[in-house]
Amino acid sequence: MFNRLTDRSRRCVQAAFEEARMLGHDALGDEDLLLGILRADEGVAAEALSSLGVTLEAAREETEEMLSDALSSIGISLEEIRREAGEAFEMRIPDDRRIPYSPGAKKVLVEARKQMRRLGDNYLGTEHVLLGILRNEDGTAVRMLANMGVSPEALEDRLFELRGRAAS
Amino acid sequence: MDKKTRTRVGGPEDPREGLEAVVALRRMLEALEAAQVENAFVAGWSWARIAEILGVSKQAVHKKHARRIRDKYPGEPPGRKGSSA
Repeated sequence: MFNRLTDRSRRCVQAAFEEARMLGHDALGDEDLLLGILRADEGVAAEALSSLGVTLEAAREETEEMLSDALSSIGISLEEIRREAGEAFEMRIPDDRRIPYSPGAKKVLVEARKQMRRLGDNYLGTEHVLLGILRNEDGTAVRMLANMGVSPEALEDRLFELRGRAAS
Repeated sequence: MDKKTRTRVGGPEDPREGLEAVVALRRMLEALEAAQVENAFVAGWSWARIAEILGVSKQAVHKKHARRIRDKYPGEPPGRKGSSA
């Protein structure tokens, strides 16, 4: 799964695992890959995201919001649980527990590779990972972006615009 | 059985919402268990007593929580007076 990953992509995947752990995700989700790009990328993928208002802070807040919404849909208040459990409460996965890739994240990385080939590139960059994320229509990341007012189409357009500019 | 309540809990209208609630709940459960075990430990409870209330073996609770909690409280935690595991 790691063939031809650029150093930047590798750093983003690493950052994605750290984000997943922090958020209490027991597997690396496609939304964590998005957070990883926001946290560690300095290339066109992160630039495309930030130009549409998607920042690491905003995306983290959105994941928290989605967790809170999912719980309140079954009548549970995240805030009340936090209050009740006190200071010891944290979502973070302990360091001694390993986090695997989720099937969704694997799918994204497979799709990223396809995008790399389609574009005739010989490296797997963060822009390919981002395209993989956007193609995963049923994924959490796409819905997260939608909640933040960003459509996959708009993001993809911006990505290619920036990529074209960088290449010329 | 209120019909409205039933559809909110992941009724056929939106299976996704219901499934996502399960995931959220699982994450919440893990975090809550970790916090409450830590609280009990800090209050001086033995692993055996914590395990009994949780309805699992002492080994299970120790394996899952001991390292994290010991790392967090390198000495004896406050409120815990020389009680052993």
